[in-house]
Amino acid sequence: MMIRTVLIALTLMVGLAVPLKAQSQGPLRIEITEGVIEPLPFAIPAFEAENGAASDVARQLSALIAADLIGTGLFREIPASAFIAAPQRFDLPVQYADWKAINAQALITGSAALSGNSLTVKFRLYDVFSGAELGNGLQFKGTPEGWRRIGHKVADAVYARITGEGPYFDSRVVFVSETGPKDARSKRLAIMDYDGANVSFLTGGEDIVLAPRFSPAADRVLYTSYASGFPRIYMLDVGSNKRQVLDSQDGTMSFAPRFAPDGRTIVYSLARGGNTDIFTMDLQSGQSRRLTSSPSIETAPSFAPDGASIVFESDRSGSQQLYIMSASGGEARRISHGAGRYGTPVWSPRGDLVAFTKQNKGRFHIGVMRTDGSEERLLTASFLDEGPTWSPNGRVIMFHRETQGAAGRSALYSVDISGRNLRAVRTPEGGSDPSWSPVQN
Amino acid sequence: MPPRGVNPVHAGHYISGAGHLALIGWLLLGDVFSADPLPFDVTQAAMVSVQDYEALVQAARAPRPAPAPEQPEAPAATPVPEAPAPVQDAAAPQATPDAAPAPANETAPQVPEQALPPQAEAQDQIADLPTPDPIAEAADLAPQLSARPVPRAAERIAPEPVAPPPPEALPDPQRQDAITVDQSGERPQDPQDPQEATAPPEAASRIVTEADTPSGAPRQSLRPPLRPVAPSQAVARPAPASDPAPSDPVAQALAEALAAPAPAPGASGPPLSAAEKEGLRVAVSNCWNVGSLSSEALRTTVVVRVALDAEARPIASTITLASSDGGSQTAARQAFEAARRAIIRCGAKGFGLPSEKYSQWQDIEMTFNPERMRVK
Repeated sequence: MMIRTVLIALTLMVGLAVPLKAQSQGPLRIEITEGVIEPLPFAIPAFEAENGAASDVARQLSALIAADLIGTGLFREIPASAFIAAPQRFDLPVQYADWKAINAQALITGSAALSGNSLTVKFRLYDVFSGAELGNGLQFKGTPEGWRRIGHKVADAVYARITGEGPYFDSRVVFVSETGPKDARSKRLAIMDYDGANVSFLTGGEDIVLAPRFSPAADRVLYTSYASGFPRIYMLDVGSNKRQVLDSQDGTMSFAPRFAPDGRTIVYSLARGGNTDIFTMDLQSGQSRRLTSSPSIETAPSFAPDGASIVFESDRSGSQQLYIMSASGGEARRISHGAGRYGTPVWSPRGDLVAFTKQNKGRFHIGVMRTDGSEERLLTASFLDEGPTWSPNGRVIMFHRETQGAAGRSALYSVDISGRNLRAVRTPEGGSDPSWSPVQN
Repeated sequence: MPPRGVNPVHAGHYISGAGHLALIGWLLLGDVFSADPLPFDVTQAAMVSVQDYEALVQAARAPRPAPAPEQPEAPAATPVPEAPAPVQDAAAPQATPDAAPAPANETAPQVPEQALPPQAEAQDQIADLPTPDPIAEAADLAPQLSARPVPRAAERIAPEPVAPPPPEALPDPQRQDAITVDQSGERPQDPQDPQEATAPPEAASRIVTEADTPSGAPRQSLRPPLRPVAPSQAVARPAPASDPAPSDPVAQALAEALAAPAPAPGASGPPLSAAEKEGLRVAVSNCWNVGSLSSEALRTTVVVRVALDAEARPIASTITLASSDGGSQTAARQAFEAARRAIIRCGAKGFGLPSEKYSQWQDIEMTFNPERMRVK
């Protein structure tokens, strides 16, 4: 009896197992670990002009948006000559097959309407191969003079929607505009759009000015000036162009200032009696606080985006290296350990990386490393690369490069943090010490 | 016997010494090695000053009178390449050798007189030159045209009139019965006498190339035969109804279990080979562009499900994000969209999977892991 029962149970199990196995076959599973890295091809037909007055700006807008996207190195524009049929109306449905045929993976359509002193720009973004719109269409309004900012906003939206990165096209850069030979160079503070357009000068060329830094709201600029004969820190209001000196203790030199993320405190270096240390200053009260007290040179401080830590350079170990300490001072932790000298550290807006200048074997490099000093990567190499600044989204670094010789010229460059897409930034004169603003509102 | 007083042991020494002395004396006094001195020439050298040497060098470097160039004649009306007209400018630069400095009047060195090369005489005018034949000159300068190749007579491949078939070989007007498969297994008897071979139809009026004519070669290799049916499936066939009634409960349970619906033969089939899976993986990889992804999206692994149609093309509406790991929701969306673009783009013409294994690849779950692609 026992044997029979066991046999019945086994038989039932075998009978049930067959269909269960057939049902548990499941989908075919594959893993893909290798892909390609190439610019994403996109098409942007000329924006539709909803009225005759907007025809010029409509054409300029599409060109500006394309230039923004191409400038990232992540996108490739498909020329209009390859279009099979451009959409006649912004509101008409998209013929995806026409864009698939030319391998356009993204399609940007838009329209512009100019009425009096008001410019209205609409756009839509499509994922061609999915046959669907990416996000919702957006509309921007502004003045006709501000058409470039509107174009940058549209490009920002497209860039952020496709890549997932934060925007950065609608931002500005303050820098030192340089003219003349190296031994008699005139330096002026200048401000421009991120792509080099709309340059305006904040100071004349009478005094030597260095290292301008934007405030978090981009309404003020800190910089160092030799107007008094000694380096002093000044703060300039961008709107009114009024400036004030922040630290004027006799027998001291103050330089290398930066704003704290809250915009109410600055951190800077003060040299007194042959020793340089790092201080903070409350902008409202004017009270200073010493963060380091070492016989070595501590300078180039930069706040973390959360304001809790400061990265700076010091030669306390015998050579110039990078250190991180609390924003209130105290023990510092060395994070650079490679060969050569490290300087001008800048904390990424994302908080994960520190950009720096490295000098090794007679060459200068712009590099990045994690905040614990790991995963150091050098992005550039030249006779003199220096002064990195982060784009608002932490994806791009701008710096200045100086060529060799007495007639060497200083110019601004940008590079993706992957090390790709090194590009010169167009400026009317030579440029140095760039500082990138946050994205404008 | 040696003489007395001489040690017989040193007798040989004495004899040898006397012999050597005699030989040396003969060599010295006999004038054996005297010889007359060999004759040799003596050349007298003289000191030359620097100035004299320079004068000699200048004289040696003086240009020799160039052979008078031939003056080409002005081209006639013939069009071919124009020869440059001879320049008759009297002020044309002439190679005028610098006058060699006069040797200093130093007294000591007596420079032996040497025949100096003749001094080049500067000419004011170029000598009249014989006019070259313009045709000959043109023939030298102008590129020669190679003779145009004469086309070979091509064989005519147009249809030639075909000789008419022999009168006795005509197409059979009778209609042949359709061939049917005989199920009986018996070899049918030929219903009629064997037919004579008919003549081929006449040649067509156009050229039939190989491209128009199937070569008969297989266009694709044959798939390997299916695997033999697994024993479990072989026994899964229900027993015929004529089986004895299952009075035995074990046999009854077994019969019921085996009577459960087995998977249809077309639904399973042989599994995909490793090469077929690799081909699918490579096809999707080639279109998986991560260049425009954010840093965070490059740290996000997504699992995407997709259904394919019978021609191995992805059905866009079935592409869904099954799961993600390593990034935020936004990053997962970016990574999923890139994966979806890859699947649709490279699957637009089908992934080329074997149709007899459709059930194996009808539903696919792809894991896109960008770990190797991210920026370190």
